[in-house]
Amino acid sequence: MTEITVTVLRFNPETDAGPHPEEYTVEVHDGARVLHALHAVHAQDETLAYRYCCGSGQCGSCAVQVDGAPVLACLAEAKDGMVVGPLALPVVQDLEVDLSPYLERLAYIDPAPCAAFPTKEEIEAIKPLRDCIECMACVSVCPALLVTDFAGPTAMRQDLRLALDPRDTGDRINEAVKEGLFFCTSCQRCWKVCPKGIEIPGKAIERLREIANRQGLSLPRHIDVAELVRTTGRSVPRTKETFLEEVPGVIEPEGEARATVGFFVGCMYNGRLPDAALDMIEVMRRNGIRVVVPHEQVCCGSPLIRTGQTAFLDQLKRRNIEAFRSRGIDTVMTMCAGCGSTLKNDYDTPFTVMDATEVLDRYGIEPPAKLRIAATYHDPCHLLRGQGISEEPRALLRKVAETFVETPNRCCGSGGGVRSGVPEEAAALGAMRGEAFEASGADVVVSCCPFCEFHIAEHTKLPVKDLMTLLREGYEQKDRDGAGQQ
Amino acid sequence: MRALEVIDCHVLVIGSGGAGIRAAIEADRYGETVLLSKSITGKGGCTTMAEGGYNAVLRDTDACALHTEDTMRGGAYLNDPALVDALVHDAPARLSDLVSWGAVFDASADGEVAQRSFGGQCRPRTCYAGDRTGHEMIATLMERLRGSGVERIEETPAIELLKDSGRVCGALTLDRKGEVRAIRADAVVLATGGGARVYDVSTNSGTGSGDGFAIGYRAGAELIDMEMVQFHPTGAVYPYDARGRLVTEAVRGEGGRLINAAGERFMNCYDPERMELSTRDVVARAIATEVLEGRGTKNGGVWLDVTHLPARRIEERLPVMLEQFLRFGVDIRTEPMEVAPTAHHIMGGLSITPEGQTTLPGLFACGECSGGVHGANRLGGNALADTQVFGKRAGEAAGRSPERRATIDRVQVEAQEERLTAFFRGEVSPISVQRQLQQAMWDGAGIRRNESDLRTTLGTVGELNGAGLNAASGRNLTACCAVQNLCTTAGLIVRSALLRPESRGAHYRTDIVQTWDAQTSPFGHTRISLKGAGIEEAGR
Repeated sequence: MTEITVTVLRFNPETDAGPHPEEYTVEVHDGARVLHALHAVHAQDETLAYRYCCGSGQCGSCAVQVDGAPVLACLAEAKDGMVVGPLALPVVQDLEVDLSPYLERLAYIDPAPCAAFPTKEEIEAIKPLRDCIECMACVSVCPALLVTDFAGPTAMRQDLRLALDPRDTGDRINEAVKEGLFFCTSCQRCWKVCPKGIEIPGKAIERLREIANRQGLSLPRHIDVAELVRTTGRSVPRTKETFLEEVPGVIEPEGEARATVGFFVGCMYNGRLPDAALDMIEVMRRNGIRVVVPHEQVCCGSPLIRTGQTAFLDQLKRRNIEAFRSRGIDTVMTMCAGCGSTLKNDYDTPFTVMDATEVLDRYGIEPPAKLRIAATYHDPCHLLRGQGISEEPRALLRKVAETFVETPNRCCGSGGGVRSGVPEEAAALGAMRGEAFEASGADVVVSCCPFCEFHIAEHTKLPVKDLMTLLREGYEQKDRDGAGQQ
Repeated sequence: MRALEVIDCHVLVIGSGGAGIRAAIEADRYGETVLLSKSITGKGGCTTMAEGGYNAVLRDTDACALHTEDTMRGGAYLNDPALVDALVHDAPARLSDLVSWGAVFDASADGEVAQRSFGGQCRPRTCYAGDRTGHEMIATLMERLRGSGVERIEETPAIELLKDSGRVCGALTLDRKGEVRAIRADAVVLATGGGARVYDVSTNSGTGSGDGFAIGYRAGAELIDMEMVQFHPTGAVYPYDARGRLVTEAVRGEGGRLINAAGERFMNCYDPERMELSTRDVVARAIATEVLEGRGTKNGGVWLDVTHLPARRIEERLPVMLEQFLRFGVDIRTEPMEVAPTAHHIMGGLSITPEGQTTLPGLFACGECSGGVHGANRLGGNALADTQVFGKRAGEAAGRSPERRATIDRVQVEAQEERLTAFFRGEVSPISVQRQLQQAMWDGAGIRRNESDLRTTLGTVGELNGAGLNAASGRNLTACCAVQNLCTTAGLIVRSALLRPESRGAHYRTDIVQTWDAQTSPFGHTRISLKGAGIEEAGR
């Protein structure tokens, strides 16, 4: 037996003003789960309210937050010092939350009489969507639910499960649209917390949006973007000189080249924020990285995949892959979190894809001057969850900013076609983000995603900068300081 | 005293596992139906945890007569033949119901529901959805339920059946705040599942506390064969807190081998013909014997090995097992699992007709809380079929019950209110009583039994049953009631075990030498009710 300390967030809405932490010291066996620690707490204090049934991860009763992350109590290992709280849903008492409003919104089958048993292929397509145990962890973290009446990630999963079943007679696509199919920002939080690992954004929501597209139900703004990509190869209209128009095909570093990477610029950095991309190029030059920029590259297709408009996606993929393959490039660098996530997860590439922050982390950088700023960092969803990158940008930021403060992570609302398709939702989430940054004590917001930066800038009084711009400023400051000393 | 709130309906179904939901769906065709759940509906009970499968005769290569014979032989011929007949003949149609309601069972290459081999069966008869078959069934039933008119009352157990002149006419319920309500009904269906949690090591869901056995018994219904407790051969042994967690029979169905600490495939010594796919009682006793005789692992188990199977087959057919063991640091593709027997299923229960009618007018039962279907040992895959076959039958029979007027007996209500009030004066923690009960039952009424240990256990159970339980708050009242039900269930098991002077199926008496086998046994069912207890004996 081991003694551990567990803090439980206790709250009885009928008698308490708000949740309050209570600390317990309990003895647990080797390999005990959070649930067993809660049983031990309950043996000390029988007033603790918590749910459990099967104890083996199959009923979805015991989802709680441990140190702020949703888990099933019966599966997550108990740790000394852990803080156990309820899911971020309306609390009934202590660790029990009200799941019923979300359970009620799950669609149910309307079977045709005498329908035949599905084929093996149909069964195999539905099965992964059937693993859901309705624990509602996904619902508890979904940003869209904060500002819309979205039915929630698992309701979308259920709609696709029914849409794929030949026995069902319902009009699941229209229903899904009404239940908020286009509200998902593709932030990926839902599937990262899913105890069954059901990839709802990619494997359910985008699939539903594809079917919706075939049925003519795509949002008009999304159709416009797809048309722009189809006719120009770009999802952003040309309003000024683009990055690709400004740079040569190969950009040599200052001094000896330590490495060569191809650069996939993406539509936003190419057409709307070319200066940030030029800043990145300067940072690479300074650090001995040769950058090859194929000019025939086009949109990665992310705006099409996220919105279900995949009819000519394969042409884009082929053209992009060929642009780098034909130059013998083995590492392709992205700077846009969305492009990087798409190339890594939606493409089958003959080369390695790395974010610019990964490239700099791998080769190491010359230290820039520390700028007299208090910076906070916004994790782009498609970098943090889409690519699993959180430490590299923070390490770079700490090198260039005198002060670094964290702001709790949340989606800014610009992804998944929401900024163009459901602007009021994007604005509401952006406003929440702006408030959080302003409360952080920082005087500048830094990120690594042109969509996030462009969107957040509209919703905060603070300046918003790309990490690469900040690094370049750090080098310029260093050069000025050096010149001053001479 | 505040006026008692009364809900009125045609059929009240108590319990929301596979049998209860199926009964409610059926009863709803006949009139207003209420489904009462201790948990959030669909999350409680053991059906959702069931991994292996559902037995049904589907193909020309199989026959109902074979399913019947397998079930009777597996049950040591203690099964009620009329109930087995109903099970075997209805199982395919009830499977079709699930399929037509959207169930996603695995399909075979020929486009039919796939079937695999399970223990004690002469044909591959077990339909499955990977190794989460019960989850699939509950998902399907929940979709059907959401589309029905059934009223759901959640997180609220029944604490007592209401009676009006000898007829069951509803139940008293207790919600999370400790409020008592009455539900008046023309017919009541008990579908409360089993009570294997009376044992220290068990596969069962945290919601199961033998409620149906206990409240049915208190209302005067007769129960049969309560001594027949199935110990599933393969439960997890590590980590300690996860002990007893089910390791599905599908592991052996797919070819898993049992190996003792000496590296011997020991089933060769117990059932060389059927080996690992012998019946559960035989395999469980074999493992217990290996451990008892010093050939067990250091954690008191044996090895269950699938490493000779292709990794892809394990990933496809046993994904839940793979994931669960990986979580505890064991990759079953390359390492064996450590397993030992775990209390799993109570074959005994409320005596029923094939229509689910108990010995009390107005009261029906189905699923694990009923007895007689599985005899002295249940075959893997027959429980899920049981839930659907008898859930439908009981729901239908209850639904066909005539409408009645009934008055709620104030004396009964006051007695229950007094019982609950006493919990606020009690001083004994229900958690500690439950732990003592589980240990006493595991030690004295487990896989191997003898009269002396059973008598000692009965004494302990009696003392624990009389403990003055304490409720820390209104919401702890349900825990007190649940622990009392566990004590009542344990008492029924031990008393019935003392009544049966033979080893048969899962009931194994080390202190009795017998000259008969299951087919020539002079004994029939044990029967127990408020009126008395006894065992059927030929010639008496």
